[in-house]
Amino acid sequence: MRAYLAAARMSYWRYYTYSIATIAGVITNGFFGLLRSYVFIAFYQNRPIAAGYRLSDALTYVWLSQAMIMPLFMWGWVEIAETIRTGAIASDLTRPINYFGYWLSRDLGRAGYHTLFRWLPTMMLGIIFFRITVPTAPLTWLAYLISLLLAIILSFCLRFMINVVGFWTTDVRGISGMVLLFVNFFTGFLIPLEFFPPAARAIVLQLPFAGLVSIPNRIFLGQATGAEIFLLLGQQLGWTIVLILAAHLLLHVATRKLVVQGG
Amino acid sequence: MDKLRLYRLLLAARLRSQLQYRVSFALEATSSFTTPFVELIAILILFRTFPNLGGWTAGEVVFLYGLATTSLAVAEMLSSGIDQTSDLIREGNFDRILIRPVNPLLQVLATDFQLRKIGRLMQGGVALTLAQLLITPHWTLLKGLVFFSALCSTVLVFCTIFLIGAAICFWTIDRSEIQNVFVYGGTEIASNPLNIYDQRLQALFLYLIPIGLTVFYPALYILGKPDPLMLPPFMPFLAPVVALLFLSLGLLIWEFGLRHYQGTGS
Repeated sequence: MRAYLAAARMSYWRYYTYSIATIAGVITNGFFGLLRSYVFIAFYQNRPIAAGYRLSDALTYVWLSQAMIMPLFMWGWVEIAETIRTGAIASDLTRPINYFGYWLSRDLGRAGYHTLFRWLPTMMLGIIFFRITVPTAPLTWLAYLISLLLAIILSFCLRFMINVVGFWTTDVRGISGMVLLFVNFFTGFLIPLEFFPPAARAIVLQLPFAGLVSIPNRIFLGQATGAEIFLLLGQQLGWTIVLILAAHLLLHVATRKLVVQGG
Repeated sequence: MDKLRLYRLLLAARLRSQLQYRVSFALEATSSFTTPFVELIAILILFRTFPNLGGWTAGEVVFLYGLATTSLAVAEMLSSGIDQTSDLIREGNFDRILIRPVNPLLQVLATDFQLRKIGRLMQGGVALTLAQLLITPHWTLLKGLVFFSALCSTVLVFCTIFLIGAAICFWTIDRSEIQNVFVYGGTEIASNPLNIYDQRLQALFLYLIPIGLTVFYPALYILGKPDPLMLPPFMPFLAPVVALLFLSLGLLIWEFGLRHYQGTGS
């Protein structure tokens, strides 16, 4: 356990050193939050509610999604693939700790930093400039934090599997770009899944991708209450377990194929 | 003419090297198609629920989107070399460029040409075709000219943003993320009716980074829509003039940066 904690801590502090990049990043996420907000404000003109979202909900949704970008790190994470390319993977695999667990710990450390220094400031911008509403009930916050943690683990599983494909192809940027694009769409990052046509909505709400953005956001917005919250968290947890198993299986198959690049 | 030949030769070598990694190239080209594709689908999905955006119909917004995306794709291909300036400087390779008897900007331009952005270009084409089907605007010769000049002007504006971003690297070495705000934020703004944004944002993207002048106003003219911002009627025809002015400003900043470049010591 101590090794995993150490890996998480190390990863947290590694990101902590890039403070200028963090400020630039918050400005960027905030700027796009601003642009996306104006689109919804214009759409909602003469329209109090649509697909179960009032304008204020839609705005909160936009800022939550912008704030989640870095904690979820959905865009172009190729760290493991890099170790395959450089050959560093050989020493990583011989460490006496679970390979998946080691990388998950590192990613949780990173996500902890990004939640504190990217999620929080981005949400602050939303609160200051668009007066978005945040939940007041402590239980909603608790449910949201659990949901956010599950979302991060889910996103890690997806990224882990994309990277492991590197065991076969060495270059994963192309695959990563393609898969994550569809992921962005099916998570509800671009628009809330409730806006999808009914047939598509019924499917996308059940997919594992919904657990990345859509479910945490709905919990934050208070769209689910009581038992519904447990149902949503259960859905996330179920997919998390499935994906963790899938990731282990894929890794198992991949390590048999592994050809370490000279070095 | 000699310079153009040199540019062509260097780029041809670049392209051949990119096509060596076929699978990788195909995947990246595909992903450069799907990125904007899901954005386009997202817009269309929202238009299912909401009838209009700031007085614009789905087809009209798709037209804006197509114009902006096509221009961005061309600009990204042309400027991929400029976008690498930061790497050239950091690795000390820029010094090598300076001692060759060819214009540094031309050499930087020729260091890269990302053909894989062709996916985005195709996507822009798809959007423009879709818009054509949805709204069937009345094309006249003048409208065709306005469209063509809007496309070229927007490409120039995007290239200039890349150029200014690269020139800033002469001082900061590292490429700034703020450049993304202007390039991709600018694309986003240009893809939607300008009137839905805050007045300060409108002013910023009309007069400082003239993407609104090169996309929004020509589109108003081509689609025959009244100007919601009530600006003078000659605005749709300013695009090429403003784009050239903006480019001159970019070139000045580049020259100024070049004179102040001191090397990284690497």
